[in-house]
Amino acid sequence: MSSQSANQTATATDAGADVPIDPVTVEVIGNAIASIADEMGETLVRASYSTNIKERRDCSTVIFDGKGRTLYQAEHIPIHLGSLMGVIDEILVRHDLSTIADGDIFIGNDAYTGGGTHLPDIVLASPIFHDGRLVGWATNLAHHADFVDRAHAHIFQEGLRIPPIRIQKAGLIQQDVFELILLNCQVPHERRADLRAQMAANSFGVKRFHALCERYGVDLLERVFDELLDYAERRMRAGIASIPDGHYEFQDIFECDEFPEQLTFRVAIDVEGDEMTLDFRGNPPQVRASLNMVETALLATVYYAVKTVTDPEAPPNAGLFRPIKVISSPGSILSASEPAAVNGRTNTCQRVVDLVHGALADAIPERIIAACNGAVTSTTFSGINPRTGAFYVYLETLGGGFGARATKDGLDGVQVHITNTSNLPIEGLEMEYPLRVERYELVRDSGGPGTWRGGMGFNRTIRVVEHDCRVDARGTRHLTAPWGLFGGLEGGRFSVQTEAGEVARNHGMLELKDGETISVTTPGAGGYGEPSGRDPELVKKDLAEDRISKKTAEEIYGLR
Amino acid sequence: MSSLRIGVDSGGTFTDVCMLEEETGRFSVWKLSSTPSDPSVAIAGGAGEIISRYGGDDAQVSFFGHGTTVATNALIQGRGAKCGLITSDGFRDLLDLGRQRRPHLYDLQADKPEALVPRDRRLEVSERIHYDGTVEREPSEDEIRAAARQLRAAGAEAVAVCFLYSFVDTEHEAKVEAILKEELGDSFLTTSHEVCPEFREYERLSTTVVNAFLGPVMRGYLERLSPRLAETGINVPPFITQSNGGTITFETAAKLPVRTVLSGPSTGVIGAVETGRAVGVDNIITFDMGGTSTDVSLIERGRPRTTTEAEVHGYPIKSPMIDIHTVGAGGGSIAYVDSGGLLKVGPRSAGADPGPVCYGLGNEEPTVTDANVAMGVLNGEALLGGRMKIDRSASLAAIEKLGSGLGLSMEETAAGIIRVVTANMARAIRLISVQRGHDPRDYCLMPFGGGGPVHAGRLARELGMDRILVPRNPGILCALGLLLTDIRRDFSVTRRMSAEPANLQAIQDAVDGLKSDAEDWFDSEGIGADRRRVLVTTDMRYAGQNYELQVPLPEGGADGFFDHLVENFNQAYQRQYDYTAPDEGIEIVTFRLEAYGVVEKPSFEKYEEGDADPSAALIDKRRVYKPEIGDYVESPVYDRDKLKAGNVVPGPAIVEQMDSTTLILPGQIGQIDTHLNLVIREGVH
Repeated sequence: MSSQSANQTATATDAGADVPIDPVTVEVIGNAIASIADEMGETLVRASYSTNIKERRDCSTVIFDGKGRTLYQAEHIPIHLGSLMGVIDEILVRHDLSTIADGDIFIGNDAYTGGGTHLPDIVLASPIFHDGRLVGWATNLAHHADFVDRAHAHIFQEGLRIPPIRIQKAGLIQQDVFELILLNCQVPHERRADLRAQMAANSFGVKRFHALCERYGVDLLERVFDELLDYAERRMRAGIASIPDGHYEFQDIFECDEFPEQLTFRVAIDVEGDEMTLDFRGNPPQVRASLNMVETALLATVYYAVKTVTDPEAPPNAGLFRPIKVISSPGSILSASEPAAVNGRTNTCQRVVDLVHGALADAIPERIIAACNGAVTSTTFSGINPRTGAFYVYLETLGGGFGARATKDGLDGVQVHITNTSNLPIEGLEMEYPLRVERYELVRDSGGPGTWRGGMGFNRTIRVVEHDCRVDARGTRHLTAPWGLFGGLEGGRFSVQTEAGEVARNHGMLELKDGETISVTTPGAGGYGEPSGRDPELVKKDLAEDRISKKTAEEIYGLR
Repeated sequence: MSSLRIGVDSGGTFTDVCMLEEETGRFSVWKLSSTPSDPSVAIAGGAGEIISRYGGDDAQVSFFGHGTTVATNALIQGRGAKCGLITSDGFRDLLDLGRQRRPHLYDLQADKPEALVPRDRRLEVSERIHYDGTVEREPSEDEIRAAARQLRAAGAEAVAVCFLYSFVDTEHEAKVEAILKEELGDSFLTTSHEVCPEFREYERLSTTVVNAFLGPVMRGYLERLSPRLAETGINVPPFITQSNGGTITFETAAKLPVRTVLSGPSTGVIGAVETGRAVGVDNIITFDMGGTSTDVSLIERGRPRTTTEAEVHGYPIKSPMIDIHTVGAGGGSIAYVDSGGLLKVGPRSAGADPGPVCYGLGNEEPTVTDANVAMGVLNGEALLGGRMKIDRSASLAAIEKLGSGLGLSMEETAAGIIRVVTANMARAIRLISVQRGHDPRDYCLMPFGGGGPVHAGRLARELGMDRILVPRNPGILCALGLLLTDIRRDFSVTRRMSAEPANLQAIQDAVDGLKSDAEDWFDSEGIGADRRRVLVTTDMRYAGQNYELQVPLPEGGADGFFDHLVENFNQAYQRQYDYTAPDEGIEIVTFRLEAYGVVEKPSFEKYEEGDADPSAALIDKRRVYKPEIGDYVESPVYDRDKLKAGNVVPGPAIVEQMDSTTLILPGQIGQIDTHLNLVIREGVH
C-alpha cells in the first residue's frame, strides 16, 4: 500500500461515524466486493468436475457482511439467492458466535433448517474474521447433480438433509462429516471434487476480503456496507415510485405432470409511493409432490420479479428488499412447511414471476413482457456408463421461449427468469456420457403470435447408446400455454415423446433401452399485441425462415 | 541507400504512419485523416508521403506492417457478407441457441446479437461423426451439390461449414468444401476445422461464421490495398496484425480474417513489449486510454498474456488473442448522477465530436477530460500541441452544475470523477492481474494513448504499483508496435488423453503434426530457417474438469518428460486455484504451437545521460487542484520534447507533449531515461 492511500484511509476514518462517506469511496468498495464474488464464481466453474457446474454453470456466489446481510450476488442464478439468503441466519441460530473461528467452513442444504431451497443445492459458507472480528461471509452454492431416482412425497425422500454444520474447522477438513455426506451421494467422486472446488472458491473470497480490510480498515468498510445497502434501497424505491399507485391482482392456472389437479395461483399487489406489498395469501395448500417453494424461495423469486421491472441495473444486495413486503400463508405451495418436498420448486417459481408481471401489466405495459416459457424443463439421465462401469447422472435443464416485449420480439430458446444455466455442449455430453444428441432445434409456431412474436421453444432429442437407463423428464405447461398480452396469443406447450409416441402426463420415471430415443419439446412464450398489428415484412421473414408455418402466416397474421 | 520499415495504423479518425530507418534507429511519424469509404487511399497515400518526405528517392522499404479496424468495424456495424451455413443435420439452430443463456440476468429488454446467418440460409446435410471418430453417416455428393445450389440461388457471398467433431475428423468438412468450390466458384468458403479445430461446437461454429461474415470484406479490402501499395513502390510482401499481436501475410489474413478482430489494440501491446525490452523492463501492465474506451493487458517476462477465447461485440470467438480487457471509459466519457444519487462515469461517451464540453462543439455534459481541465491537469487554453482550443470556463460550469446535485464543490466533483474513473480502471487491471494470479505490484505500469499518462499516477497508487514508464510517444505506440511485430501463426489440435507415459507416442505424434503444419507455413511465407521459432504448449486439467490451464511442454526426449510436465501443471494450478489434488488424474486436452518468423528488432536511438536539472524544459507554472490536500498547488509545467536524458522531475509537475499530458503527483519523482522514456516512481519518504 502506498503512503498516499494510507493517508486517505486515516482521514476518512478520523472523520467520524456521523460524517457521510463520499459517494466515490462507496462506488470503489462496491466494485471491489462485486469483483470478489465474480472471481469466486469463475474459480468454482473452472475447478469443478460435474457437467452441471463446469459447463452449465448452475452455481452462484454471494458475499455477506458480518451481520449476514447480502452485499452482492454474482450474476448467475437468481433463485440461488433464496438458498443463500437464509443460510447465515441459520448458522447463527445453531452455532454460538464465540465458537465460530477463522478457517471454519459450514455446509448446508436443507430447505427447512439449512437455509436452502432444495437438497441438490449445497451451500458452503466461510466466515471472514479480521483482527478477531467477524466482518463478512464468503459463500457459494453449487447444484450437485445427485440424489436421483427419488420419490417426492416429502423431503425425506429427496436426498440427504444437511443442516448448517462445519465441513472444515479451523482450516482442517472434517473427514467424518465429509465421508458421511459422500456415502449418501450417488456419484461420490464428482461430489468430492466439486466440494473441493467450492472450498477453493471460498478461500479465494476470504483472501480477497482480507486484502480489502487491510486497505480500507474495517470501520470504514462497515460504514460503506451500510451505505451500499441504502443506495440499493434508494434505487429500488425510485423504481417502485415510477409505478402508478394502486391495487393490482392476477391469477393463473398451474399444472404439472406430478399431480392431476390444476391449481389456481393468485397474487394481490399494492403499490403505494415507493413501497410495494405482494400478498400471496389464499394460494393452494402444499402438495405431496416436488413443486413446493419454501419462503426464502418465494422471497428470492419476488425480488427478482420486482427488480426486472423497476431497476435491472441496481446492485443485487439486501437493500433492494427493504421497500418490498411479501405476505404468504405458511403451509401453502408458495410458502411450504416441513416436511413438504421441494426438489422441483423452480417450475413453481417461474409462475410466481408470471403472477407478478401479469398483475402489473396494465400499470406499466411498456416494461412488462408476455409470459415466458414458465417452466424449468428438466431431463435427468442415470445409469451405468458402459465405457467406465460407473454410475452416472446427467442433468440438463432446458430453456424455451422468452416473452414478447412492448417494442420487440421475445428471445428464442433461452433460460428465463429465475434460472440462467448454460446448456452442456453436445461434444462435451457425448464424450462424457453414453448418450447421443440427435437433434437440437427450434420448434416452428411455438412463439406466440402477436404484433411482437413470443420466443420459440426448442426440441432436444437424445438417443441412449449401448446401455439401458432411467430418465426423469419433468416440466409444466403441458395443458396450459404461456399467455400473451394485449391481444398477443399464447406460445407452444411442453411435451415428451419416445418411440412409443407421446408420453402421458403423470408418467413418472421412464426406462429407456439401448438405442431408444427421448425427445423433449419445451414451451415457447406469449406474444405481445394483436397479431394483425405485426409488420408484414416480419411475418414474411418468419415464414421464409420457417419460424412460423404458412397456415399461421395466413390464418393468424392474415398474410396474403 | 537507406532501408525503411513502415507501419500504418488505420483507425476511424486518423491514420498513423510511422517509419524507422534501420541504420540509425531514427523514428518519424506522419498523421493524416482516414478515408473511411476506402481506407486504402489514406494508407497508401500516407506511406507514399512519409517515404518521399523522410526517406528520399533512393529509399527502399524493407518491411510494411499494417494494423486495421476493417474486421472489427464490419462486425460492430453488421456490414459483413451475406452468408450461408452448412451443418450436421439437426443442428442448424445451434447458431440461435448458443449456450441458451440470455444476454442480461434482469434486463427484460436486452437482446442477443443478431445471428450472422439467417435461418433460411442455414442448411443441413446428412452427416454424423462420433466423439471417437467413428463415422455414422457421410454426406452424399448429391445433397451437398443441392445445398450449394440453394445457397447460390439465395445469393450467399460466403459459406461456413461446421460439423460436429470436425476437430477429430476433418474429412466431411473437407469433402463439402471441395464440392462447394466447384459449385460456388469465387464465394468465400471456410470450414470449422481450419478456423478453430477445438472442442465445444457452439464456440467453434460462432468463430467459423464470423470468419465467413468477414471474409469477403477483408478480401475486397486487401485487393484494393495491395495494388495501391505496389504503386507507391512498396515491393515487399505486406503484413497485417492479428489479435494475437503477430503478423500474417495478406493471403493468410484474407483466409482467416476472424484472427484480426483485435488487430488495432494488439499492436499497442507489442509496442509496449518492445519499449520495455529496450530498457530491460519485461513485467508490464499496459494502460491504453483513448477517447471512449480503455484497453488493459498484462505482459509477463516479455510475453503478453494471451487467451484462446473471448466475446467480441457479443459474438464468441475462439482464436488466439492477446488478453486485452476493454472498459467503456475514456477521456470523452460522460459523468452523471444516477437515480440512486451516486456519481457514475461512462460508458456513454461524447467521443471526439462533439467531444468534451471544453471543445465548445455542443456537448454540455462534463467528461473526464473536462474534469482534468477543471483541475488544471490539462492545459486550459489548448490541447494537441495548440491545435485544439479549450474553453475551460465551460468545463467549470458543467462540473459545478453536476456537483450541485451531489452537494459537492466544483473541485470535489472534478476530483470525484477522476476517482471513479481510476476505480474503474483499477478494477479492469485487477481482472487481468489479480484474478489470474498476478500481483500488480510486481509489474511496471505503462500508460499510453492520449489519456493514459494523465491517470497513470493515481492508478498506480490505487494498485500499489511503484513504477510507471511513460513511452516517449505515448499517443502513437500502436503504430510503433507495427514495426516490431514478428510474423506469427498459431496452430492447435485437440487430442484428449491422460498425462501418463503410455501416451508418450501419441503426444509426440500430435506435436510432430503441429510442427509439420508450421514448417509448411514457414515455407509458404518464405521465412528462412534462421528466423523460424516455435513454442509448444499443452492445455491440461484434472481429468473431470472442463477448463484447462496452458502449460509449457518440456523440451527434450522421454527422460523425465512426464515429471516435468506434471510439475509444470501443478505449479500453474497452485497459482490459479491455491490448491492441488495429487490423488486426481491429469489430462491433456489440446496441443498448441505458436510459430514465429522472427523479425529483426532494430535498436532504438539512445541518448547520453545528462544532468538532473530539468529547468531548460520548464515552460509554464499553473495551479493544479490536489484532492489529496483539498487545495490548489502551484505546479511546474515541462515540455516533454525539451526534457533530456537524466533530467529529474519531482512531483507535483505536469509534462506536456503534442499527443499526451503526464501528471506527476506530489511524492512521485519522474526521470528521463536514455531512450527518452519518462520513468515515474514513488519518492523515498
